[in-house]
Amino acid sequence: MTEAAVTAPRQLTRRRMKSRPPLLIGLCLGFMALVLLVAVFGEALAPQDPSQQDVLGSLAPPSAEHWLGTDGLGRDVFSRMLAGARSAIMGPLVIAVVAMVCGNLLGLLAGYRAGLVDSLLMRWVDLMVAIPSLLIIIVVAGALGGGYWLAVALLTILTIPTDARVMRAATLEQVPRPYVEAAKTLGVSNGRIMVRHIWPNIAATAVANSVIIFAGSLVAIAGLSFLGLGAAPGTPDWGQMLSENQPLLFTNPVASIAPGIAIALTATAVNLIGDWVYEKMSRRGAAR
Amino acid sequence: MSPHTEPTLTAGRPVLEVEGMRIERTDIGAPIVTSLDLQLAAGESIGIVGESGSGKSMSAKALIGLLPEGVVASGTARFDGQNLLGLSERQWRSIRGRQIGMIMQDPFTMLNPVMRCGRILEESLLPERRLSRAERRAEAIRRLAEVGITDESVVERYPFQLSGGMRQRVAIAAALARDPKVLIADEPSTALDVVTQREVLALIKRIQAARGMALILITHDLRVAFATCDRIQVLYAGSLVETGRADDVRERPLHPYTQGLLLSEPPADRRVRQLVAIPGSVPSAADVQDRCSFSSRCRWAEDACRDGVPALAEVGEDRHSRCIRLPEIGAEMAALLSKSEERAVVPAEGRSDGALIDIVNIEKVFESGGRTVTAVDDVSISVREGESVGIVGESGSGKTTIARMLVGLESPSGGEIVIDGIPVRSWSALTPRDRRKLRQTVQTVFQDPYSSLNPMRTIGWALKEAITTHDRGGGNVEGRVAELLESVGLSASYAQRRPSSLSGGERQRVAIARALAVEPRVLICDEPVSALDMSVQAQILNLLQEVRTERGISCLFITHDLSIVRQASEYLYVMHHGKVVESGPTESVLDNPSVEYTAQLLNSVPRPDGQWLVTGDADEMAATRG
Repeated sequence: MTEAAVTAPRQLTRRRMKSRPPLLIGLCLGFMALVLLVAVFGEALAPQDPSQQDVLGSLAPPSAEHWLGTDGLGRDVFSRMLAGARSAIMGPLVIAVVAMVCGNLLGLLAGYRAGLVDSLLMRWVDLMVAIPSLLIIIVVAGALGGGYWLAVALLTILTIPTDARVMRAATLEQVPRPYVEAAKTLGVSNGRIMVRHIWPNIAATAVANSVIIFAGSLVAIAGLSFLGLGAAPGTPDWGQMLSENQPLLFTNPVASIAPGIAIALTATAVNLIGDWVYEKMSRRGAAR
Repeated sequence: MSPHTEPTLTAGRPVLEVEGMRIERTDIGAPIVTSLDLQLAAGESIGIVGESGSGKSMSAKALIGLLPEGVVASGTARFDGQNLLGLSERQWRSIRGRQIGMIMQDPFTMLNPVMRCGRILEESLLPERRLSRAERRAEAIRRLAEVGITDESVVERYPFQLSGGMRQRVAIAAALARDPKVLIADEPSTALDVVTQREVLALIKRIQAARGMALILITHDLRVAFATCDRIQVLYAGSLVETGRADDVRERPLHPYTQGLLLSEPPADRRVRQLVAIPGSVPSAADVQDRCSFSSRCRWAEDACRDGVPALAEVGEDRHSRCIRLPEIGAEMAALLSKSEERAVVPAEGRSDGALIDIVNIEKVFESGGRTVTAVDDVSISVREGESVGIVGESGSGKTTIARMLVGLESPSGGEIVIDGIPVRSWSALTPRDRRKLRQTVQTVFQDPYSSLNPMRTIGWALKEAITTHDRGGGNVEGRVAELLESVGLSASYAQRRPSSLSGGERQRVAIARALAVEPRVLICDEPVSALDMSVQAQILNLLQEVRTERGISCLFITHDLSIVRQASEYLYVMHHGKVVESGPTESVLDNPSVEYTAQLLNSVPRPDGQWLVTGDADEMAATRG
């Protein structure tokens, strides 16, 4: 009895250090690994040519040959799903990374420098946030003729201000801390204080926010593709497929539901992973 | 009305009797308190003294049924015929407030910020007594008067509109509203200024005497416990190491830990050559549950001390100690204690000529929401070459603002600062060369070592940065990091560790090493030990002294603690409300204060004699100021 009590605390530290991810997160990580694999090797993995049309075999229900059946033009839905993973992941990845870099820099600058820099940046952010972004994208993309990368670029520009605002708030919380003042009294340069001192302390927020942005833009791009403002017609893309196969809901429902499920699952998995990473990162170094 | 009312143990059965209380975390089975016994008679006051991690606050929470989720207490705590430790939440509700009241440390968070003080008090009155609105209000005002607040408008005010001392009074009034038999006060005066601390302690003692209430005072400050309590129980790493009558424990400590605490505490009335520090830091209760908890830091520890937990043995009348070597080392302990009574001779040389820092008629005005607050008002201070200058004052006296202006974290609103011949109005207006020179002249050691080190960076990274910021010549940086660590008493292997794995004392050592990295000529120490455990404070004070004499650097020592300033400075400025009210050589200022305020500060240092807590009319007046 007493011996158990003596050894117990050690066991805990060991368990805590290893800290396996919980089952749900494990599933999400597995799923995302699969999606990434497919995004890289999608076309090679596809059992059939995703753009091979077979009008006679159109609207076939799921079978051994066509796992998810065929669409209105007789193309294999499963192969198109695999091929579409790349465009589903690429755009959001670009948006998340670019928005994180720009948003973090602007947020750090605004939060740390305060004063005029802060006011200017934040008024610009207010303006951007006040604009109904989806509407703007629809108008601009519509006027310029649409296109996948145009949608990505527009989404990036509209996402940066939101990220900057979050990072500014996180920075403001760090600036009055004694470790920042200690660095200032040592004569450490402002740029170095921002990047090497403050940023590591708000990195958890930065990463978590980027993950949320990733999931959000995944859905947003799919939506734009659905509206015909994203991926060009005919290209295998989850949003595009959702819109193309929408009329088939009663003939081959799998063809339109499958891409929808793929989008929803990916977005959910990314969000859950983001939460988990945030918790893990913010626990690091935070303990007294 | 002496604080040492005769022990009433013989007068009857104890009100509260705790036996073998053990508190542990259920999730990992780690103990927080391994064994606590306590016998509290009616009208008696017991002080539980311990450092952070000793389990004193958890013990208090267990005795009022407020242990956090995942922490349980076992053993017995008999009160009024029932075992408190086995009560349900429902049963607790009829005990809390009515039978046992509690005051907590922080008067800033203890009162609900959205409730007016009147409502806080009305709510804490007994619900059975059906009173009209007006009667309740009158009762609240009466209760406030009892705690020395005669200003009736306080019932209409929100907690944030009151000073810390006033808030603590309101909290005391609320805790006592249902006339409990036992009051548990968990560090009731720690967050308060020294002058207010004395007022609040005196108030608690007065009410206790008037009501015949029993008091458990939980504190980290031995001086406060000696001045307030009849009996003392010293808690270390989850177990009692010594108990006894207050004056008895003070004069004749019978456990090396208590003795160490007494020795490491800077005496208020004299300067000693060097403080006797206890090495190391407080272990967790879980790590020492198979041995004498103090064995890792005890100079007399032997193998026998690490072989099983010694029993709390009776060593005299109403006196217990957990030290098994007491018969052998008792004489040595007594000799050491009497040696510390010696007074060090203070070099009586005048101040040298070369002023390193010259602050002339400086002023700082803060503006917030259209209101202006003058934090520093026409202050002149100078720090000479190789000299240690103290600034002492309560919070809000402007002492920290001066430190911040000296290192460019604030700009003065008026007046002049000259550091090493360079006039400093605004740091941003300086040339890069001057700025660099200033950084290498003045460095700071901050108050809170828990937040002054970047939590995401290793110790080595922080020191390397401090070295390379001004010295781009390169050289053997790693070697200098090791050297710096060594100079503050840490091994070179600390370079790989992060602040979170260090104790408070170790962190403050790193902070000092970082300040020394640029080889400054003046070290500004802003309350460098006030966030540290009692047993560690002396280590850091000694280290600062050592660093100062070895490197011949000057020091500006900012603190609220008069006994610390006596040990650490040769010249002293006393600040009050943004002004310097008195200055001169430390010894002469403290021995013969010429200003009323300095005398008041001196008087607020806890003294064990019975007169300390006897308050005059002046204090009552001060209490109602608001």
